[in-house]
Amino acid sequence: MTEMTEEIKKTKKGKLERNRIWMSWTFVLIPTLFIITFYFYPMIQAFWISLHTGTGVNLDFTGLDNYRRLFNDQAFITAVTNTFIFFIFQIPLMIILALFFSVLLNQKTLHFKGIFRTLVFLPAITSLVAYSLIFRYLFSNDGVVNQALMFMNLIDAPIFWLGDPFWAKVLIIIAITWRWTGYNMIFYLSALQNIDPGIYEAARIDGASAVQQFFRITIPMLRPVILFTSITSTIGTLQLFDEPMNLTGGGPGNATTTISQYIYNLSFEYTPNFGYAAAVSYSIVVFVLILSAIQFRVGRERK
Amino acid sequence: MFSKKHLFLSASAVLLLAACGNGDDETGDTGDTGEETTEETSGDMNELTVWTWDPNFNVRALEMAEERYQEENPDFSLNIVENSQEDVVQRLNTSLSSGVDTGLPQIVFIEDYRAPSFLNSYDDAFYPLGDYYNTDEFADYKVAAGTVDGNVYNVPFDTGVTGLYARTDYLEEAGYSLEDLEDITWDEYIEIGKDVYDQTGIKWITNDHGDLGLMRIMLQSSGVWWTEDDGTTPYIADNEALKMAFEDYKEMVEADIMNVHNEWDQFIQTFNNGDVVTVPTGNWISASIMQAEDQSGNWGIAPIPRQDMEGSVNASNLGGSSIYVLQGEGQEAAAEFLAATFGSDVEFYQELVTEINALGAYEPAMEGEAYEQESEFYGGQQIFQDLSEWTQEIPEVEFGQRTYEIQDILAVALQDYLNGADLDEVLQNAQEQAESNM
Repeated sequence: MTEMTEEIKKTKKGKLERNRIWMSWTFVLIPTLFIITFYFYPMIQAFWISLHTGTGVNLDFTGLDNYRRLFNDQAFITAVTNTFIFFIFQIPLMIILALFFSVLLNQKTLHFKGIFRTLVFLPAITSLVAYSLIFRYLFSNDGVVNQALMFMNLIDAPIFWLGDPFWAKVLIIIAITWRWTGYNMIFYLSALQNIDPGIYEAARIDGASAVQQFFRITIPMLRPVILFTSITSTIGTLQLFDEPMNLTGGGPGNATTTISQYIYNLSFEYTPNFGYAAAVSYSIVVFVLILSAIQFRVGRERK
Repeated sequence: MFSKKHLFLSASAVLLLAACGNGDDETGDTGDTGEETTEETSGDMNELTVWTWDPNFNVRALEMAEERYQEENPDFSLNIVENSQEDVVQRLNTSLSSGVDTGLPQIVFIEDYRAPSFLNSYDDAFYPLGDYYNTDEFADYKVAAGTVDGNVYNVPFDTGVTGLYARTDYLEEAGYSLEDLEDITWDEYIEIGKDVYDQTGIKWITNDHGDLGLMRIMLQSSGVWWTEDDGTTPYIADNEALKMAFEDYKEMVEADIMNVHNEWDQFIQTFNNGDVVTVPTGNWISASIMQAEDQSGNWGIAPIPRQDMEGSVNASNLGGSSIYVLQGEGQEAAAEFLAATFGSDVEFYQELVTEINALGAYEPAMEGEAYEQESEFYGGQQIFQDLSEWTQEIPEVEFGQRTYEIQDILAVALQDYLNGADLDEVLQNAQEQAESNM
C-alpha cells in the first residue's frame, strides 16, 4: 500500500515538475516573442529601411549613402548641435537643482513636506500641450516674464524669447528644467532616505559642517542614483521632441530643431523620405551608446 | 500542453488586436456623423469617409455639400472625420506607406503645397478625377496643384487668393486712400509704409520671421517658386524674384515699419488691437479681421502688391486646399459626389460664400448673387467679386515636392541675412544645401 502511494507520488511529482517547466517556459516565451516582434523586428527593419532612399513608398536600395549624407547635411548637423547644447547645459543644471530640492525637502525640521514635494513634482505630470501653451503666453513679447523683468529694470526692451535664436534655446532649457527637475528629485529623495542617519550623526560628532556633510557624505552616497538619472536624462534629451515642437516649432530658423524633430520633419513635414529619416534615427542610437559608455566610465572611476 | 500554449499566444494576440481596433473606432467617432465606424463603411458605399480639418470651414463646407447631394441621392451620407491638418497628413503618410489599404478614407483634403509630394510619393494611391468635371472652369493654378503627368487628381476647393487688407482710417490720417495702394509694387508699398509710420506711429505690417508666407506670396505673383518646374531642382541662388523678396523684407525690418509677432494668436491680436495698418495675406484671414466689430467700415482690401519685375502681377495666393479621392472601393461614388457639388454646383458656391465666406476657384460661380454683395465691414466694397477676379489672375506655379523642406532652409538663410550676412552668399549656401539634400 505505502509503496504504491510512494509510486503515485513520484509520478505525480514528475508530472508536476514537467508542468512547472512547461509553464515557466511559456511565461518566458510570450514576452520574448512580443519583445522580438515589437522591439527587435522594428529595429532591424528600420536599419534595413535606412539603407534605402526615395520618396514615400518608392524606395531604392542605396547602401550606406544615407549615412554618408548625414555628414554633409547642414540641417542634421544643426539639429545635433542644438541637441547637444540642450543637454550640456540642461542636465547639470537640472541635477544640481534636483539635488538641492531633495536635500531641502528631506530636512527633518521642514513642515508641510508633502505639499512642497507635490509642488515640485507637479510639472512632471502636467499635460505637455497645456504647459507649452502657458509658457508661450508667459514668454511672449509682451508676456508676464518680459513685463516682470522690465519692471525690475533688468532689461530695457522686451526679450524676443521665441523669436531670437539664443533666447529660444534658453527658453527650451528653462522649460525642460521646469518639467523634469521634480521627477529627478524623487529619485534623490528616495535614495536620501536610504542613507543611514547614523553616518550623519557620526559626522556631526566629528565636527563636519553641513556643507562638508553634503559633499563628503550625501553626494558620494547618491553617486549611483546621480549616474542613473544623468543617463536617463541624457537619453531623454537626445530624443527631445515635445518642447521644441510645441514651444518654438524648431524656430526661429532651425535654432531649436532637435534630432527627433528633424526626423519628424523628414517623415511628415517634407516629402516623406523614410529611408533617410531611419538613418537619422540610427544616429541617435549611436549617440546614446557613446554617451552612456562615457557616463558609466566617469561614474565608476570615482568609486 | 503544446496546444494550450498556442491558445495562450493567440488569445493574447487577439486581445492586442482588439485593443488596436478600439483605438481606431475612437478616432473615427470624433467625426460629426461618427456613430458608425470606418470598418463598417467600407461595405456600405452609400456612406463615404472623409478626412479633413477645420470644423468651421472644411467640415461645414462638406456638410453643406452632403445636404445638397442628398436631395438627389437620399441614401448618400458622409462620415466626416475631423483631425488637425498635421494629424491628417501624418495618418495619410503612415497608412499609405504601410501599403495596407484598409482604414483609409475615400475622400481626403490636402493642402495645395503638400499635394505634389503625396501624388509623387504614392503612385496609384489617388484616383484621377479629370474626367468627372470641367477643369477649364477652375483657376488654372488650382488645378495645376493636383496634376501629375497630365492627370488631374483634385477637385479644387478654397482659393488662397491674397489681398492687401488695410485700415482706411489710418491711411486717411496720413493723407492716403485705399486707391493709393492699388496696383503698386512692393517698393512703393514700403515707401508709403514709411510715410504712414512716420505720421501715425503705427506699424505698417506684422510678420513672424520664421513664417515665409510673404515670400511665397511674392514669388507666386511673379510666377516662380523656389524649385524649378520639375518640382525638385532648387531655384534659389539665381532666383531674381526670391532675391528681391529678401531685400524687400529686410528693408521693412530695417525701416522699423514691421512689427514682429511669434505666433498665430499674437498675429490676430495685432490687427484686432489696431496695432498695424496693413495685412497682406490670404483671404481666409477675413473672418479673423472681422472679429473686431468696432473696426467695421475701417477696412478695405486692395490687390496684393507686385514685384518690380517683368511678368509680376497684382494677384497671388497663400495656402488653400483641394479635395482628393483615394483609389479603392467607393472611388467612383466619391468622384461623382465631388463632381456634382464642388465641381459644378454654382448654387452651392453661393451658399459657401454666404454661410462661411469660403471662396472657391470656380469661375462660373462668380456670376452668382452672393458674390455681388457689398460688405459693410469693408466699407461697402464688393470683396467677393474683387477677390474672385484676382483669383483668376493668379499665375500658375509648380509647387513641387519640396516647398516646406526648402522653406526651412530659407528661414535660416533669412535669419542670417537679417543679421548682416551677404545676400548672394546666403542664397548660394541655401542653394547648395538644398541640392545636397536631393
